[in-house]
Amino acid sequence: MVVDNPGETDARQTLAPGISSRPPEAARPPEESGNGTVLDIKDLTIDFVSVDGRVRILNGVSLNAKKGEVVGIVGESGSGKTTLGLAILGLLDSPPADIVSGTAFFEGKDLLKLKPAELEKVHGTGINMVFQEPLDSLNPVYTVETQIGEALKVQRKRQDPPAAQETEGETKNLITDLLRNLCIDKPEEVLERYPHELSGGMRQRVAISISIIEKPRLMISDEPTTGLDAYVQNRILGMFSAQRKAGETLLYITHDLTIASQICDRIYIMYAGRVMEAGETRGVLQEPLHPYTSTLVASVPQGFEDAPPLSVQLGEPPDLRNLPHGCKFNPRCPYAKDVCKETEPKLEEIFSRRYAACWRVDKELGRFS
Amino acid sequence: MGDLVEVENLTVAFRSKRREGLFRSGPSLKALDDVSLTIGENETFGLTGETGSGKSTLAKVLVALYKPTSGTVRFLGREIDYKNRKDIAFLRQNVGIVFQDPVRSLNPSLTVKEVITEALIAAKSIPKKDYDERINFITKLVGVTKDLLPRRPRELSGGQRQRISLARALVVPKKLLVLDEPTSALDVSIQAQVLNTLKRLKSELNMSYLFITHDINVIKYVSHRLGVLFYGRLVEVGDTRTVDTEPKHPYTQSLISHVLTLKKVGLQEAVVSEHRPAPSGCRYRIVCPAAFERCAAVPRWVNLGSGHLVSCFLYDHSSKKENGALLPTTAAMGGDLRVPPHDPS
Repeated sequence: MVVDNPGETDARQTLAPGISSRPPEAARPPEESGNGTVLDIKDLTIDFVSVDGRVRILNGVSLNAKKGEVVGIVGESGSGKTTLGLAILGLLDSPPADIVSGTAFFEGKDLLKLKPAELEKVHGTGINMVFQEPLDSLNPVYTVETQIGEALKVQRKRQDPPAAQETEGETKNLITDLLRNLCIDKPEEVLERYPHELSGGMRQRVAISISIIEKPRLMISDEPTTGLDAYVQNRILGMFSAQRKAGETLLYITHDLTIASQICDRIYIMYAGRVMEAGETRGVLQEPLHPYTSTLVASVPQGFEDAPPLSVQLGEPPDLRNLPHGCKFNPRCPYAKDVCKETEPKLEEIFSRRYAACWRVDKELGRFS
Repeated sequence: MGDLVEVENLTVAFRSKRREGLFRSGPSLKALDDVSLTIGENETFGLTGETGSGKSTLAKVLVALYKPTSGTVRFLGREIDYKNRKDIAFLRQNVGIVFQDPVRSLNPSLTVKEVITEALIAAKSIPKKDYDERINFITKLVGVTKDLLPRRPRELSGGQRQRISLARALVVPKKLLVLDEPTSALDVSIQAQVLNTLKRLKSELNMSYLFITHDINVIKYVSHRLGVLFYGRLVEVGDTRTVDTEPKHPYTQSLISHVLTLKKVGLQEAVVSEHRPAPSGCRYRIVCPAAFERCAAVPRWVNLGSGHLVSCFLYDHSSKKENGALLPTTAAMGGDLRVPPHDPS
């Protein structure tokens, strides 16, 4: 009467949707937009201006995502992950934010140059974002039902041609099903509550369901499962996988490598506002090129109590106001050479679709040396 | 390994704020229900469970921030009377705590040095002239550099703050350190550093840990023994390796199978509904795929050998009507867990 026998578990894992059977990526130059590239960010540099001066939050970040792809942005706090997400949505207030250079094309339009009214048309059903702190994105004076229902209405109206609006009963059924899918028990009761009456995990799931119901073409989720239990986390990740199957693109921001390894097709490793390494998830995490990626991987606890100490870099995360010369990782890098302290390495293609910004990565050998 | 802490039949109930009528108070909620466990000397006991399972309640009972509704807590063999100030002082002298949120658990208006000094003042037993020596010793040990001492918490990173919480908890030597999600708010690389420090400290200072986290990867890495809580009830206890590789309780099995690792590929299909505890009997029976009619009663502890205990009828092969002690006495089990005298009827 054992519930989950291990063999069964393994079988289910290999059959999980979209993870193991990944379609081979067609070789296409990133410049040609329109044929599958949904988001194309080039050389994005953003400063924050305050009385204390200018702080560079993002420095020359380039990133792209194709239709139906899950792209992970991984890094520690302060690496610029969230700023990148907000910039794509055009939600950075200026001041303090100052977009110094770069473009962010979404379906052929540069998001950074859109007027607020045009941007509003993109938001919701074009691009939307699940924020880390769900209280910020929910309206405190409306019930859960109203808020999800509103999103659904917008979605129906914007369909081409506009779809008929559901009756109240149908809307309710749709929303209840969605909430139930996100492991919410007694969704009928939750519908009538206000955000402050819900626990953090529930709020997060309500925020996610608002995003999901709008069926965006690009969804950005910023640490959506932080602080949630393993089950709920799995369920949410499962729903994201299903969305990807429906052709939605997902930009997944996280500091948790175990999550990234589960759902992302490709990942970008960010540090101090720069992309340090990029490539297919499995390759990057199993054979990291950049020492920073290696340290991140080595930081994930593995084994039991008697396991050896975790190998970690010394020192604290970088202070963006006071970055070192050369490679920004060099003070924490065990392999830093003189050149690393003088000149900053550029992100280069080391081999096919694998990028790294490190002087110690040999392009000819195609590995760290 | 002697027992440092013995918790027996601990129940902590909170009265609901919602009142039913003018004089009747609302139903009370049992955050912990009949929990018994022991923590040995120099042992790390890992406690896991999902949000709301009562993990933090147990932590707070051990530092006398909450009082037990019923049940006993013995520390170094001394039964703690939560109404007696001396007992509480004794408990707090020997038990330190580190909280999850490194921002909210440090006073923003005090410098790092003042934060640590407060712990020394509160201990009363330490002469003032020894303060500096103590602070130097502990800050070095937890990895806080001297230049941080005059700073205030807001000027520090999350990892540094958590080290300061550690220094504050340990500046007066403790027998037991309660760590309530100490690394959940930290980045992975910082988490790794803090975990390394914790492991080193434990051997250098001869302490026991009660390590509470929902992150199974972390708990596996730090703890000797593991206890799994489900809505206030302990469902399984045992050696970490055994519980992780051969989980017996359906809840533990499901919990372990949902853990994400770097090596695991693909997602585990999650249970359909959110976990809802049953009002009586085995709390897990509503969701449990293996539930049968016996689960309507409270399951007894079943000893599976070498301290691996599970509270589930699937392993309880005694007949339904049989009454009395099913398990060997605590002493015979090597003092691993106090067996709650459950009444199966």
